[in-house]
Amino acid sequence: MHKGPSIHIENVTKRYKSAQEDSLSHVTLKINESDVYGLLGPNGAGKTTLISILCGIIPPSQGNISFYIGGVEISGIERRSRLGFVPQEYAFYQELTPRQNLDYFGAMYNLSKGVLSERIGELLDELGLTKVADKVVSTFSGGMKRRVNLAIGLIHKPAVLFLDEPTVGVDVQSKNAIIKYLREINRAGTTIVYTSHHMSEAEEFCNRIALIDHGKVVAEGGMTDLLAENNVSGLQDLFIKLTGEEYRD
Amino acid sequence: MFKFFSSIRKEFILLVSDKVGLALMFLMPLLLVFIITIIQDSAYKIVNENEIPMLVVNHDEGNQGNKLLDLLITSRLFKIDTLNSLPEKALKKELLARGKMIALFIPPNFTSGLESNTGEVSHMMMRDFGLETDSAIVKTRDMPALSFYHDPVLQENYSASVMGVIDSYVGVIEKSMMIDRIYADMDMEPKSEKLNEKMAVNRVKINQIIATNGNSVAVPNSTQHNVPAWTIFAMFFMVVSLGSNIVKERVNGSFLRLKTMPTSFMLVMFSKMAIYVVVAISQVALTFSVGIWILPKIGLPELTIPTNFPAFAAVVLISSMAAVSYALLIGALAHTQEQANGFGAISIIIFGAIGGILVPTFVMPEFMQFASNFSPLHWCLEGFYILFLKGGSWHELRWVILFLGVFILICQLCTYIKLRIEKII
Repeated sequence: MHKGPSIHIENVTKRYKSAQEDSLSHVTLKINESDVYGLLGPNGAGKTTLISILCGIIPPSQGNISFYIGGVEISGIERRSRLGFVPQEYAFYQELTPRQNLDYFGAMYNLSKGVLSERIGELLDELGLTKVADKVVSTFSGGMKRRVNLAIGLIHKPAVLFLDEPTVGVDVQSKNAIIKYLREINRAGTTIVYTSHHMSEAEEFCNRIALIDHGKVVAEGGMTDLLAENNVSGLQDLFIKLTGEEYRD
Repeated sequence: MFKFFSSIRKEFILLVSDKVGLALMFLMPLLLVFIITIIQDSAYKIVNENEIPMLVVNHDEGNQGNKLLDLLITSRLFKIDTLNSLPEKALKKELLARGKMIALFIPPNFTSGLESNTGEVSHMMMRDFGLETDSAIVKTRDMPALSFYHDPVLQENYSASVMGVIDSYVGVIEKSMMIDRIYADMDMEPKSEKLNEKMAVNRVKINQIIATNGNSVAVPNSTQHNVPAWTIFAMFFMVVSLGSNIVKERVNGSFLRLKTMPTSFMLVMFSKMAIYVVVAISQVALTFSVGIWILPKIGLPELTIPTNFPAFAAVVLISSMAAVSYALLIGALAHTQEQANGFGAISIIIFGAIGGILVPTFVMPEFMQFASNFSPLHWCLEGFYILFLKGGSWHELRWVILFLGVFILICQLCTYIKLRIEKII
């Protein structure tokens, strides 16, 4: 059930100090509660910059971002407590075990020891990591590391989860396990904002998308509406139609 | 508190998983202390111990050579081995073969040459006094020359001081012979035993006083230098472990991830600092324990701990903080782990060299002594020297604490600015 915008991005522009052009230019988007919202675009389009701004890693040069949970605006520490972030990199400690990583990052979310212990057990089980829970992550395959990366972003049961390329470089089994689990938490009420280069995965997974190119939103809306409006059969065709076939490096 | 405990625990696990870093921080200083102390110990012994090993070859045909030898033996400055059968040509080879640092060759004409010259001087004096002597015809011979051989590694000032000692004893012999000759030329009885004794003791004494504050008097030796010096070196070498640890977290996105969480980045940095300060204190405890208990068991000097324990603790703490702050700075500035390891290690070696870790600063040229003031390792070592060798007080430590305090502040500030620029803080 949608209760209005969960994230309200209003006229957000970002220009890095040494840059000649805006990385994001006057972006305005509304992401509803319980959406699986895809931020799609070619390399250098500005997707990661937008996610970094939404997560509070970098500030926008101009514009506003508002977060709402149950219709109530949240900010500051509360906002950071309710957001989850899964970066594209393996942003955790490979010398630690999955349990130790989850224990550390969970503590950083102010979870109590008891709650944390229970939640770690749940996540390890859901993401198929129980058997390797006490082995150091550096020995893991790419797919297992992706699942550890995801588990850390979910340790505190976030209301909004930001995923930057969560399935890049993983095998089909791990990709399926990750998408399956993300669907489950979305059904349970978590809003997901997601970037990917896998068009078929995004088409299947997202209910709404924003197509970004050269820092600007070139298309935004529900998946089926956008495909119909542009008279294309799939997301990949829409992507090529709106962003062209030139290389983006 | 749980958050802090978790952060500390994470840092501890990262630390113990870095086997190379641990080896560099704990095994390296132990090896260096053992190796360098053993190597330097013999040199320190030569300088500090009373008896300097010397080989003497006496070819003198008279008795003054033996007198000189007796004077050298009774001085207790030298541990003398005599080998009178050795020809002078073979002396160099023998010196090196026996592992002696110095040797003295007394030539066959030592006594006759001295007699001839004292005779000539005495004759001239008699003439000046208006007294005729029987020895009107005095055949002058060249003044005999002693030959002083030394190992090429022996420092020039050290050789000069030993030659000075020998020269002073030759002077005693010459003076005595001169008086004997004057007595003889004046047809007097040989000088009395009382006069001989008086001449022997009638010399100006020089009292040696070590300039320390307080009652603690630790004589400089290889242990007193090497244990603190290599401990400081190893403390700063934590740059390899802590520096690369920070680079790794910066590069892999862990720091940025933490920025999205409801936690203070200062907690992360404080945990790192706390763990590595404990590491540095453990390094001091380990190497100093070796200096106190292990080194004496293998015949090396024992490390003497300063009596001013609070000041000692303060120097250890501020040195640890300086090492940690420098590692944080390198970790913040380096772009890759290779940069952090390479630049960090090389910079510590350079700081160590100019800071007096490898060789004491007082033997360096003046401009290098000035440069040493810019090495944090120099100030850490200076702090230990003030405590260990001079029995230092808080007042004497004020410059050490001030410099290291400023160094810590600069490092921390630069680290903060760099992490701010990278949007991590």
